[in-house]
Amino acid sequence: MKLLVAFLVAVVLATETTNLSFAESTLEKIDKSGTFVVGTRTGSPPFAFVNKNNEWVGFSINLVEQGILPALSKKLNKQIKLEKKESTVPTRIPLLTSNAVDLIAETMTDTQVRREQVDFSLTFFITGAQFLVRKGSPVKGIQSIAGKRVAAQQGSTNAKILREKVPNAKLVEFQDQPAAFQALSQRQVDAYTNDGIQLAGLKAKAPKPDDWTVVGDFFSYDPYAMAMRKNDSDFRLVVNVGLMDAISSGLYFDLYEKWFGAKGEVPYPLTPENKRFLQLQVVPK
Amino acid sequence: MDFHVISNNFVFLIAQGFFGIGAFTGGTLRLAVPAIILGSTLGIILGLARLSPSPWLYGPAKVYVEFFRGVPLVMVIFWFWFIIPTLIGKSLPEYAVALTAFVVFEAAYLAEIVRAGIQSVARGQVEAAIATGLSKKQLMRHVILPQALRNMIPALVTQFIVLLKDTSLASIIGYVDLTKAAQIVNNREIRPFELYLFIAIVYWLCSYAMSRYARRLESSLSV
Amino acid sequence: MTYHFDWSTLWTGQSGGWLLQGVITTLQIFAVGLIIAIVLGICAGALRTVPIAPLRWLASSYVEFFRNVPLLVWMFFGYFSVPPLLPQAMQDWLFDHGAEFWAAVFALGVYHGARFSEVMRAGIQSIPKTQLEAALSTGLTVGQAYRLIIIPVALRLIIPPATNETVNLLKNSSVALTIGVAELTFQTRQIETYTAKAFEALAAGTVIYLALCLTIASIMARVERRVAIPGLIVQGHTGTS
Repeated sequence: MKLLVAFLVAVVLATETTNLSFAESTLEKIDKSGTFVVGTRTGSPPFAFVNKNNEWVGFSINLVEQGILPALSKKLNKQIKLEKKESTVPTRIPLLTSNAVDLIAETMTDTQVRREQVDFSLTFFITGAQFLVRKGSPVKGIQSIAGKRVAAQQGSTNAKILREKVPNAKLVEFQDQPAAFQALSQRQVDAYTNDGIQLAGLKAKAPKPDDWTVVGDFFSYDPYAMAMRKNDSDFRLVVNVGLMDAISSGLYFDLYEKWFGAKGEVPYPLTPENKRFLQLQVVPK
Repeated sequence: MDFHVISNNFVFLIAQGFFGIGAFTGGTLRLAVPAIILGSTLGIILGLARLSPSPWLYGPAKVYVEFFRGVPLVMVIFWFWFIIPTLIGKSLPEYAVALTAFVVFEAAYLAEIVRAGIQSVARGQVEAAIATGLSKKQLMRHVILPQALRNMIPALVTQFIVLLKDTSLASIIGYVDLTKAAQIVNNREIRPFELYLFIAIVYWLCSYAMSRYARRLESSLSV
Repeated sequence: MTYHFDWSTLWTGQSGGWLLQGVITTLQIFAVGLIIAIVLGICAGALRTVPIAPLRWLASSYVEFFRNVPLLVWMFFGYFSVPPLLPQAMQDWLFDHGAEFWAAVFALGVYHGARFSEVMRAGIQSIPKTQLEAALSTGLTVGQAYRLIIIPVALRLIIPPATNETVNLLKNSSVALTIGVAELTFQTRQIETYTAKAFEALAAGTVIYLALCLTIASIMARVERRVAIPGLIVQGHTGTS
């Protein structure tokens, strides 16, 4: 017993005076291992999810496979293998900072607070927070959510904003989206808050899509970007170049049409101003 | 109640979830079997260390066992998942993380079983063996360990069954074991009753088979 | 990439409050789960030893089924599969009063109830048959014999393995985070998400669990000394691990 306590105290004292640091940059790490590890979701259609054939697919995944991986292979002059790991809202930043993954490519909102812990790529999607409710529910938006049970993902921007704006709403936080949606479908909560496009994706993929409606004006602005470790400009440049090339070559818009087009998995037309915003992000060579 | 969700996804659930054959990193058996083997090895070493007269062996072993018996396995999994990559500077595949966490954790419990098993061998046996002139090593190999192993079998198999069930916690870090496979299908189809009942039955069958085998082993080995 | 250790994040800002809330929630699900588990364990354990076959079979089925399925599966079952089967009024009450909490204690209670029953059964079976025979010969019914003689003695015999199971229950409460219960491990993840100090958060959680486990063990040891029956010698293990 005493040995145990002594051991723990020693650990605390040792760490008080040390810092762990690695000189290796992300590009060096990928070069050495030959593998590019990406953190992505398994339950956020159509960005990253497991489809009916039990394949791991999605818009964000395609962007990485077809946009960023080639740029990486070109930069490092060798074929790089892509490895996907599951990340969720509470685990994605720790996975990044602990070197378990090199890039988070899913549905992460770029915020100033998060930029203190990680760096972000260009914005690759634009949406905002809304609510998913059963058809005919009295909830119509953030103004009618007070006192209701609302599901959200632990650590998400939606949870944070809701906690601040509507403190008397009963927030129930889940580890990931499917768990939250299930709570909603079993009437354990009255509404589920997440970014509008993800709610649209959930609704489209639900067993009975007509049972659900996405309500409310955007109560937040959510630009999606890919996250990576801080102060790694060389890697960040490669990721951004990959995205810029995808936009300028039209690959991005082909993928957008595939997933969000009229015949896509989740129809969500690209507004002209959003399209312009994406194109303006591409700086000249 | 619609059990078609089971038949439609049976291959994914069993081949990927249970055996680990598929596109994802996973498999309950692929984790449980090596964990049992490696965990037992480490457990035997620790158990013997616990009985050693030397404080350099006894001390660390005691701290190790007490530490891992006092923390939840979920915590240990998180430790290995987040801290180890930070310490060594590169990412580890989920399989390695999960396997390491299980081996390190279960070894603490197996060590206690080994220790109790060895201590349960009657003193008379030890004295008689020494009286016939056997060396310490021969004593261990031919007298104590065989009898100890026989005594340990019920407790060992119980612990192995516990380990099999504990593999379900690997799903928390995204390892696609049977539980995670069921979750993946459920996330899409929303049929929790059928899916979780199905995997409950699969786990039950395995545990039952293991305990039946252990009972047979015990009776065939009894003196 | 540098990791700066900063232990003060544990008590500055919201972290301290979260840790405390986590400990309280952990103790709550532990306490309620333990009560359910003990009640189920004593009943099922005793029923597995009575001379009435149908009762034995009933208890054995409960134990064998719930014991051999992972706790995580019972948590998911309790939270996702069970509520839709309940009457609407019960569902409404549940969802207004923390369904995840009740699902967690249900899972902990039935799972550890099965494990406790094995400990109880072994304890009862280690009492010489002569005790029961003597009790019956003085005119007590089987029910009375169990209630007044067998179970009280067995309860004292099983304190060491029961302590083990109690500590296991406390540690298993961490599994509840998967269904959204804001217990201690959940809160360490929360701190980690908002401060990025994974090492400190996990260390705090680990130390608290260690402290709780050691406290339970020492309380049980004290209880054992206080309720010991003079002259009743405990021979080695009476339970499963």
